[in-house]
Amino acid sequence: MTPTATDLEHVRHALSSDLERSPQHYVLGGVTPAIAFAPTDPSEIAALVHAADEVGLAVAPLGARTATAVGRPLSRYDVALDLRALDRVIEYVPEDLVVTVQAGVTLTTLQTTLREHGQYLPTDPPPGDEVTVGGLLASARSGAWRGHLPAARDLILGMAVALPSGEVVHSGGRVVKNVTGFDMHRMHTGALGALGVIVEATFKLTPLPAVTRTLLLPAGDIDACGALARRVWDAGLVVRAITVLGARAAAEAMLPPAAAVLVEVAGSEASAERTLREIRALAPAAGDAPAEAWGRLRRLAAGPGATVLRIGVPPAEVETTVAALERSGLAAWAHLAAGSVMARGDVAASEIEALRALAAERGGFLQVEIASATLRQAVDPTGATERTLVEALKQQFDPRGTLNPGRWGAGL
Amino acid sequence: MPPPTGPNLSARHASDATLALTMATSSAAASPASAGHPAGHEALVRDLQAALGPASVLHLFEDIIAFEYDATIERALPEVVVFPGTTADVSAAVRIAEQYLRPVVPRGSGSGLSGGAVPLTGGVLVVLTKMNRILEIDVANRVAVVQPGVINLQLQEALAPKGLLFAPDPSSQRVCSIGGNVANNSGGPHTLAHGSTVNHVLGLEVVLPGGRVARLGGRLADTPGIDLRGLFVGSEGTLGVVTEVTVRLVRTAPAVRTLVAVFDSVEAASEAVSAIIRRGIIPVALEMLDREIIRLVEPRIHAGYPLDAGAVLLVEVEGLAEGVDADGASVEEACRGAGAREIRVARTAGERDRLWEARRVGIGAIGAAAPAFYLLDGVVPRSKLPEVMHGVMETSARYGFRVANIFHAGDGNLHPNLMFDPDDEGATARVLACAEEIMRLCVDAGGAVTGEHGIGLEKRSYLEWIYSPADLAAMNAVRVAFGGAERFNPCKMLPGGHGCASGHGAEALNAMRRGSDSV
Repeated sequence: MTPTATDLEHVRHALSSDLERSPQHYVLGGVTPAIAFAPTDPSEIAALVHAADEVGLAVAPLGARTATAVGRPLSRYDVALDLRALDRVIEYVPEDLVVTVQAGVTLTTLQTTLREHGQYLPTDPPPGDEVTVGGLLASARSGAWRGHLPAARDLILGMAVALPSGEVVHSGGRVVKNVTGFDMHRMHTGALGALGVIVEATFKLTPLPAVTRTLLLPAGDIDACGALARRVWDAGLVVRAITVLGARAAAEAMLPPAAAVLVEVAGSEASAERTLREIRALAPAAGDAPAEAWGRLRRLAAGPGATVLRIGVPPAEVETTVAALERSGLAAWAHLAAGSVMARGDVAASEIEALRALAAERGGFLQVEIASATLRQAVDPTGATERTLVEALKQQFDPRGTLNPGRWGAGL
Repeated sequence: MPPPTGPNLSARHASDATLALTMATSSAAASPASAGHPAGHEALVRDLQAALGPASVLHLFEDIIAFEYDATIERALPEVVVFPGTTADVSAAVRIAEQYLRPVVPRGSGSGLSGGAVPLTGGVLVVLTKMNRILEIDVANRVAVVQPGVINLQLQEALAPKGLLFAPDPSSQRVCSIGGNVANNSGGPHTLAHGSTVNHVLGLEVVLPGGRVARLGGRLADTPGIDLRGLFVGSEGTLGVVTEVTVRLVRTAPAVRTLVAVFDSVEAASEAVSAIIRRGIIPVALEMLDREIIRLVEPRIHAGYPLDAGAVLLVEVEGLAEGVDADGASVEEACRGAGAREIRVARTAGERDRLWEARRVGIGAIGAAAPAFYLLDGVVPRSKLPEVMHGVMETSARYGFRVANIFHAGDGNLHPNLMFDPDDEGATARVLACAEEIMRLCVDAGGAVTGEHGIGLEKRSYLEWIYSPADLAAMNAVRVAFGGAERFNPCKMLPGGHGCASGHGAEALNAMRRGSDSV
């Protein structure tokens, strides 16, 4: 249904004309929106979303556009809302280990700012630090550090969100410990923008480790790698990542094409030194590996051109899962502590359903992280079962289905 | 019948209770104790007895009187108290309550510090103490599944031999339940390094309107879908009843170092907190005890805290032995730089326990030393600690109250305890005014009105200091999505509400406690 000229005028009327952009720059899944804006202020965003809501136009909030192939394809797309002009670090108090930023700030910019004070936001989402804070939170994806360090949903202290009602609402605050009111910021984290447009967020930060080292631990077959990875995990060492690589995954990450364990040591000098010693004792064949391997794994987890699955299984079962996936022709690797198995390649809808059933038997889940629109129509990307509450929340926060319609399935 | 739990009742408590009961009764219009039972009472009791068994349903005044309060002294009588043994029991109780248009109020150990378990408008109190089994400890995958009535310490004791722990460790851990920890998103001394309860809950089984049983989250982190688990944790029983909790476990650190740094003033100790963090060290615990607390506690425990100290920091770092050495040395330097006149390192596990004993018995010692005290919970950015602590001391002195501070300094989470005698003319009103000024100091410094005790009844009206009407409307929308404010724990967390007493003076007055030993 093409928006009428009157509808578009109504939306244009909400914002200054110099904030309008060419819709051609915001094509998603082959669809060009009718109109596009790049507001610079949260209140402008609220005004825009409200105006669109009044005339029934669908709005897609966009940042670096690294997660547009996550979730179901949009069912309607009229207004592109480019958040990248919301690019200010609002407040950074290094002594408090707390930062408040606008949603369009990229992780690169944020980490650069924080690094000057020896701090960072400990999260490593796919595909890399080009993601915006808004995208990081809305998609809630994480990487190899998950399980060793808290993820974005654990680091979020407060949030401001623009709603279709035209209001900008806040939850949480700027202190590291806070139980004042409902934690709506947790609800928005991972909601794919379905319940509001994240415009500002406050995070708890972590001191940068003094030393980081990447080690590759060859251990024979994938079973031996899994066992070794768990021994490293159980040793109580200062590590930030323990990733079990299938042979295909290792090759795609430009490492020797054999099953192995990739470990990142991160800590103070004294702790890191002890950790390196212990790891060499556990795995005499351990050797240094390029730190870039982590960046390559992050890119591999983001597509493009391939389907990416995230399969959650108990840590004790990661290697059997990796082995099964690699046997079926996929590249697979597993972040041990989170029980997060990533798989990449060509995979049919029927295979996904079979894998999902297998994961469920083990108390886990399967999420289609990245896939073609066709595949994301054929298979429910999340397999999330609790629909009643999600529908009720959508009804409360976005009753007319203005925000990212369809990304959680029909009617959501 | 399970034993009632609640604060230690001192001799003088009984007369106070009468006063408080009168107030609660006058504020809750339809209190069943005074006005007789609402229509359908007999049928409600009969249906609950049929569903849960007669032994699991209490409805006589003398049986339910023990369930009218939690660790605050706000009081309101439930209409019926039930003790479900299974999720199906909880589901049935919720369904039946709904059928008779009664609210459901979940309750664990009753150790809450904000009035969260007080059934302000009566209804069915669902006490989860019988659902107290640890269902599973999966050592390899570092996961435990527990029923909501499991006591925090009971879980810790089951985990310790396996080298694992559940990180949230509220000071009330000997009595508080995991379900209560979930409801309040509880913290504790070790929150500084490990985060609050929400960071350790993987999945929940909950009972929702209509008795529907839902599973939120799962056995692993980052379960797909909208994070209803994260929304539910900390919702203080206003969205439903938790019937099972799946938690993430943390490995016990191989090495730990506990030290005490002695300062001449609270301000100097506060400076040291920032100095430690500035060095890039996050201790696993960083607690402050002021002069008043030390003088109350040291004669009881003989841990060697100097009686002339202005304040001490109790600092714990953990990790690999080598790292602990380095971090411990760095903490010492930071403390000396901020003016520490003495630093004492625990050499043995026994010494460590004795140092921590001060933290554990602190609140009890205050209870024994004053006829009454009011325990506050506020949070400020840690860099604002020196000025806010100065303000706390100045404000209490101006009102003429002794104040004892024992708190989570590393998190900026203050716990001033205002000591007073309620028999002094006007003392209670002055305590309220003083507490409110201190809360204002926290908010003005960019902080929050509760770090771990919750909003409950006590702090509903303070929310308006922090959130706009639109913010609160959005929070209420969450509640509506979960079935509305009348179903589960009415009158809690959000200001106002249909049939809820308002007026913060009455709430805060009722939140005073007399010698409860939990923080």
